[in-house]
Amino acid sequence: MDFGFKLSPSSAINLDKVDLSRFEKLHGIEPDIIKCMACGSCTSSCPANRFSGMSLRKVILDLQRGREKEALGMLRNCMLCGKCTMVCPRGINTRHLILSICRIYGEDGK
Amino acid sequence: MKENIVIIGGGIAGLEAAAQLLSLGYKPIIIEKSDHLGGHVAEWNCLFPDMTPARDIVSSLAARSADANIFLNTEISFVNKLKDSYNIMLSNGISIITKIILVTTGFSVFDAAKKEEYGYGVYDQVITNRDLEHWFNTGEDKRVNDCGMNAVGFVHCVGSRDEKARNPQCSKVCCITAVKQAIELKQKFPDAMVYCFYMDLRMFGKKYEDFYISAQRDYGVRFIRGRVSEVSENIDGRVIVKAEDTLSGKPVKVTLDLLVLMAGMVCSPDSTRVANMARLPVDSDGFLKSEDNVADIISSPKEGVFYAGACTGPKTVPETLAEARAAALKVHLYIKGLE
Amino acid sequence: MRERFLTGYNDFVLPFVCGMIFVLAYCIIGMTRIILQLPAQDRKRFFISLVTPKTFFKNVKDIFLKCLIHVDLWKRNKLLGYMHSSIAFGWFMLILVGHIEVFLYTSNLGAKALYYPIFFRYFVAETESTMKGSLIFFLMDFFLLVVLSGIALAIIKRVRSRLFGMRRTTNPSFLDLVGLYSLWAIFPLRLLAESFTADISGGSFLTKSLNYVFTEFLSNHANMLPAWWAYSCALGIFFFVLPFSRYMHIPTEILLIPLRNAGIRIVNARKGLAKAQVYSCPSCGLCIDACPMVVLKGNIRDTTVYLNRQIRRNNEARIEEISDKCLLCGKCTAVCPVGVEGDKLRIAQRSVRKYSYSPDYSNISAEKEAMMCNKFVTAPNNEVSSADNEKVLYFAGCMTALTPVIRKTTESVLEKAGVEYEIMDKDGGLCCGRPLLMAGRQDQARQLVEKNTEIIMASGADTLLLSCPICYRIFRENYTLPGIEVIHHTEYFERLVLSGRLRMRRDNTKYVYHDPCELGRGCGVYEQPRNVIASAGVLVEAARNRKESICCGGSLGSLTLGFDKRKAMTENAISNLMAGSPDRIVTACPLCMSTFSRYSDRPVEDIAQVVDRTSEAGKL
Repeated sequence: MDFGFKLSPSSAINLDKVDLSRFEKLHGIEPDIIKCMACGSCTSSCPANRFSGMSLRKVILDLQRGREKEALGMLRNCMLCGKCTMVCPRGINTRHLILSICRIYGEDGK
Repeated sequence: MKENIVIIGGGIAGLEAAAQLLSLGYKPIIIEKSDHLGGHVAEWNCLFPDMTPARDIVSSLAARSADANIFLNTEISFVNKLKDSYNIMLSNGISIITKIILVTTGFSVFDAAKKEEYGYGVYDQVITNRDLEHWFNTGEDKRVNDCGMNAVGFVHCVGSRDEKARNPQCSKVCCITAVKQAIELKQKFPDAMVYCFYMDLRMFGKKYEDFYISAQRDYGVRFIRGRVSEVSENIDGRVIVKAEDTLSGKPVKVTLDLLVLMAGMVCSPDSTRVANMARLPVDSDGFLKSEDNVADIISSPKEGVFYAGACTGPKTVPETLAEARAAALKVHLYIKGLE
Repeated sequence: MRERFLTGYNDFVLPFVCGMIFVLAYCIIGMTRIILQLPAQDRKRFFISLVTPKTFFKNVKDIFLKCLIHVDLWKRNKLLGYMHSSIAFGWFMLILVGHIEVFLYTSNLGAKALYYPIFFRYFVAETESTMKGSLIFFLMDFFLLVVLSGIALAIIKRVRSRLFGMRRTTNPSFLDLVGLYSLWAIFPLRLLAESFTADISGGSFLTKSLNYVFTEFLSNHANMLPAWWAYSCALGIFFFVLPFSRYMHIPTEILLIPLRNAGIRIVNARKGLAKAQVYSCPSCGLCIDACPMVVLKGNIRDTTVYLNRQIRRNNEARIEEISDKCLLCGKCTAVCPVGVEGDKLRIAQRSVRKYSYSPDYSNISAEKEAMMCNKFVTAPNNEVSSADNEKVLYFAGCMTALTPVIRKTTESVLEKAGVEYEIMDKDGGLCCGRPLLMAGRQDQARQLVEKNTEIIMASGADTLLLSCPICYRIFRENYTLPGIEVIHHTEYFERLVLSGRLRMRRDNTKYVYHDPCELGRGCGVYEQPRNVIASAGVLVEAARNRKESICCGGSLGSLTLGFDKRKAMTENAISNLMAGSPDRIVTACPLCMSTFSRYSDRPVEDIAQVVDRTSEAGKL
């Protein structure tokens, strides 16, 4: 039925309702994840950014905000080349972090 | 008043302390490894936030401390601990017995070539904050193109807050120095676009925020929150800088005629050498370790050894001068205690 | 010779016979399983290789030289080599001569054939037909002495391994120790047992002399049987623990050699060739000293020998930890005397990991990417590029983007030499796929290989130039690029210098060359960079170089080693390079370069920088 308008869900992030259980699990394996200071070095050197908008900075942020679908979408073209590991000023092992995300989060939502 | 006081380093900290000690009636000895006094400040052009000429500061300090025993071009060969004093052997063959050492060895500017991705020493348009000051002073630098300056970029935190550069702490003064240098460049090239690529802007000092606002409002300096990760060169020899504009969440790319790297402060190798010779402890950030980082930053854990200035961590000019005065007083009280 | 007993049997042979049957059955079943686990194609290839004369002779030669003589160990350390070959070859000859003896002097063997060659002296008494022990008896005693000397050295090695060129040795497991002590016991007990019977069954300089000297004790035949029992028991125990201890390497290596000669690669992480390699590991511990991670003592347990042990125990948690930590520098593979491929074994372990999300690159258009580097196809009317002028496509690689000096100097050299080239990843191309392969994500790596192949084939180039050894390795091993030569810049520079297109100015600067893992051990490129550097200055060598060069510690191979954990490895690698007190460190890998320059006190350069600085255009 077309009413001529749509009800769009609020774009606000409600931290009260965000399920962080998987993030906690990830944090357990990758304690360095919260060392990120969002400088964006990883994004600007990332060869996958051109294709899937990959930005590890955003992935880390999105996972903490419960936006898992958006995060995984960005990971789609990650080639694990290691440039982000090289440039990270906080020395985060980003390659292992990405592999851990791929293990814990799945498209099936399990 | 016969007590020898050895001040290691003739930068602004050493000079200010010497001047204060002279006015207290002592005759300190300044040991400086280079051929001039004033250290890094002597190489600078203007100082933030009031654009005070650095030359004025250094010359007035030098004038006030002129009566001290000053050894230029002199290094320390070794330090021996005697029973209640130190024997300092200088490279010119003189040896000094002293009960008081004031370490004012300062900092080193991070070697920007170590951040290979920025291409310092590789690309002709990439210079450091220090090179830019040199150009302000002398107008001589082939890398700065006077005529075709359309776009300039500043990269903050080069070798600071960077574990890969083995320097995880903030160098404190680069943010405000970048703002200052951006304004100066804008004054010289009003039509040029000036970008500052920063991670966090730390405008902590007196009038710094005003300075920052002025850079934005009066000079139109563009601040982009994102760390530069790659610098390449295009066919006509200009540099292309890649960063993420983290506020819009999009990668940005910009072509520049000049890229200035804000190289940070690291502990000078001379400080480390002196620390090794006098068996002074080094803190986890690589700078010298004080007795207490809050209550007593100018005392070393060793009897009779004091610090002033950037040998214990990055500091601004006013902080350094204040510390030097405090150290002079501390030395005075220490000598009084000996008598 | 004449039989001493009508039955030709004594109960003491039982431990040996049972052990022997057990081991043979175990090995046959194990071997069959491994062969059955091979993919059908590989199995066929294996069988064909067994009957092909060339590989057949190679197999025989390899088994003789490696399993019996241990030539690799001789090359490493004479004492270590002698210790191993004296035990292996000596024991083999004891068995061989023992059999010859049996066939010469007895008939109607039947079931006795199982134990007669071993316990011949007990069952058969000496007669005139033995030439008074001048040949066969002498040989038996001689080889027993050889083995005993090896055992003596083995005992010394357990206390002073440094004499044998080994700083660290493996910590043996319980069953390894049981095997070890029973092996040590076998030969002295044999000597004792045969000395008892030397006055009856004959012997030579060893056994007979002992019998004379200790005649009081040794001619008392009441002591004889216990000695033979002990000898048989030692053998029995050794055989029973063999399949569960490191000594399983003895039979497995005989299978591994033909498998390797057939050109089979690891496919399954735990089955087939991987299993053969794991069981071939003799736990010698050469890989411990080789491993660059071992500068931190905590990493000793993460070396290949312990990986093999954990795989045998199916300890999944430890297998994952060990596999993920490794830098994949390949040095353990290079030094392994039996040919266990520690790096490939680990990649295989990584590849079985389960991920619930997998990247996929189908959305990336290879055509669009190819547009960015199609200089050679869009200019068909360009008369300058004649047919004989090579068309070089330069793929700088991801890592080179972070060390722009390599790209800049390489371009400068190419321009000097008048090479027509095009850059493939001007605007950040695709990754070569090697990092994914190293992480065990083979399907994803394959997709990238396909995309890149498409881009390169569409470029119209005939040479693919690489400056990153990580890329170079996968381009050589996993890409099929018909009509395109894949070449690393070290090799290309050598060619330019040799052909006179670049003229080098030599000075007295002292350079040390660091062999990057992927270029040296990975692709076997050792000489070309050295030749180039030697034409630019004085080349000095590192303490350990070429095949044994030490990884810089910055490798992408390790998944779990954090930045802070690598410092000690880098510093160790740098101190290794300082042996000839060079002025400059030269390498040929962007990753090695940035890793070294972080901690080195002298300049670290890529070979392209050296060539650019010291060369000028030669004649075309």
